[in-house]
Amino acid sequence: MSIERKDDHDHVAWIEETDLTPVEQTFLVTLVWMDKRFRIVDYLEILETLYYRINLQMPKSHTEQYNLDNKFWYWYPLYALGSFSTLAYVVAAISGALLGFYYAPATTGDPSTAYNSITFIMTQLNFGYMLRSIHRWSAQVMTAAVFLHMLRVYFTGAYKEPREVNWIIGILLISLTMVFGYTGYLLPWDQLSFWASQIGVEMSLSIPMIGEWVAQLMFGGFAPSAATLQRMYILHVFLLPFVVTTLIAVHIGIVWIQGIAEPH
Amino acid sequence: MSETTDTTETRTDGGTGIVPPDDETPTWSERKARRVGLSRLTYEYFERARREDQDLREESSYVERDVLGFPAWPHEMIRNLALSSFFVGMIIFLSATLPPHIAAPANPSQTPSIILPDWYLYWSFGLLKLGPLNPDLAILGGQKLMADRTYGVIANIVVVSIIAIVPFLNKGSARRPVEQPFWAAVGIAGATFAVTISALSIKNIIGSILDPHLLFDLTFLLPIATGCVAYAVLKTMREGYMYDLNRRYYRLRPPK
Repeated sequence: MSIERKDDHDHVAWIEETDLTPVEQTFLVTLVWMDKRFRIVDYLEILETLYYRINLQMPKSHTEQYNLDNKFWYWYPLYALGSFSTLAYVVAAISGALLGFYYAPATTGDPSTAYNSITFIMTQLNFGYMLRSIHRWSAQVMTAAVFLHMLRVYFTGAYKEPREVNWIIGILLISLTMVFGYTGYLLPWDQLSFWASQIGVEMSLSIPMIGEWVAQLMFGGFAPSAATLQRMYILHVFLLPFVVTTLIAVHIGIVWIQGIAEPH
Repeated sequence: MSETTDTTETRTDGGTGIVPPDDETPTWSERKARRVGLSRLTYEYFERARREDQDLREESSYVERDVLGFPAWPHEMIRNLALSSFFVGMIIFLSATLPPHIAAPANPSQTPSIILPDWYLYWSFGLLKLGPLNPDLAILGGQKLMADRTYGVIANIVVVSIIAIVPFLNKGSARRPVEQPFWAAVGIAGATFAVTISALSIKNIIGSILDPHLLFDLTFLLPIATGCVAYAVLKTMREGYMYDLNRRYYRLRPPK
């Protein structure tokens, strides 16, 4: 007995039992082969499809399909938090690229080139303070949205079985978002930046065994200096954008592949 | 497939495939008529394919809804654009009303009295202040095993690792908090801890309102308290939830 199902949709058998010339045979085999892969039916009959498309029916949602009492999941607005953080990330990227035209990460000068460029942006540049304000607020909003997004995912159990990888990527993303924020608020090179980088240096130094190496790599020395500002700048505008954008794409791609974990 | 036909049919042509014409053999004109009909053949196949789709759809258990589809354009797109514009507008409104200030420039010779990161790093900063919890060993003469700041950095790593292994500890299809009171309580306790540890990190500021020692104790007692309350509440809710589920079940399938 053969494992293959034999029904009236067995196109190969149909071709075999129909009396065909070699040309027909070749044509039909090719057609079936292509159609199986690319659904040519749908494309060649597109006019007809357009007509019927109007009557196309959507599949039921999870709650409807399992006939749950709760037809509308009232936590649904919380499901937009992921989109909102992505949107805030895009806004921050655009305003950040514009800020990059006017900012220079140098500690020379009085008090420093970095600080002077921030002052210039805030006081003299047209719409400069608005630009910096938008950049700052979109960063704050993104971080808040990401935090709440994580809480939503936890409390609706969306991290469960097939989605562990996305949970891990999410943790990586939230950490990188905070690193983004940290490197970001070091850039104005004001008192907060200086002493926050001091804390950062001390935190890396306190790591056993590799502490000094980490401090050298991340902060360019054992005390905040010009090298620290330079490194934070490159992290903020070059390394992190590539890594975080890629991770966001993978994160959303996995959601796309696996589907949204609807509660039930 | 071909093997089965081979075994059932008796082959009389000696394996060449050439047989003498009989009544069933198409004439050359018939063959020609069929050969030009590639379009007809295409049509025939598409009819079969469509019937296949139809049959599969009918025999599938996938329930279809009785409403027309919600078109991506313009409905869905307008909704998305509206939501996105509202959100971006909110950011712009915030930035216009609350612009950042320009702080004092960096001055290595003057340490400010209060050093704080941005609010989203308070939790991490609070974990650095767990010195009093750093165990000391009697063997080492009351000396601590590691420096307080090493302890703080390790606390950060521990917290992130605990969050990371959650999906490997909690499996199954339960999605609602009521279905798993324990894990929901863990989540509530964790969220509360994030708040209290952030409060601990700004103890220099709220020290005038709250005694620092009390704050330190509350940092660890409050999460436990909220966790217990959440567990009790959800456990109670689950009774009602299960009651509803059971009632519906037995209404559908009455016991014999």
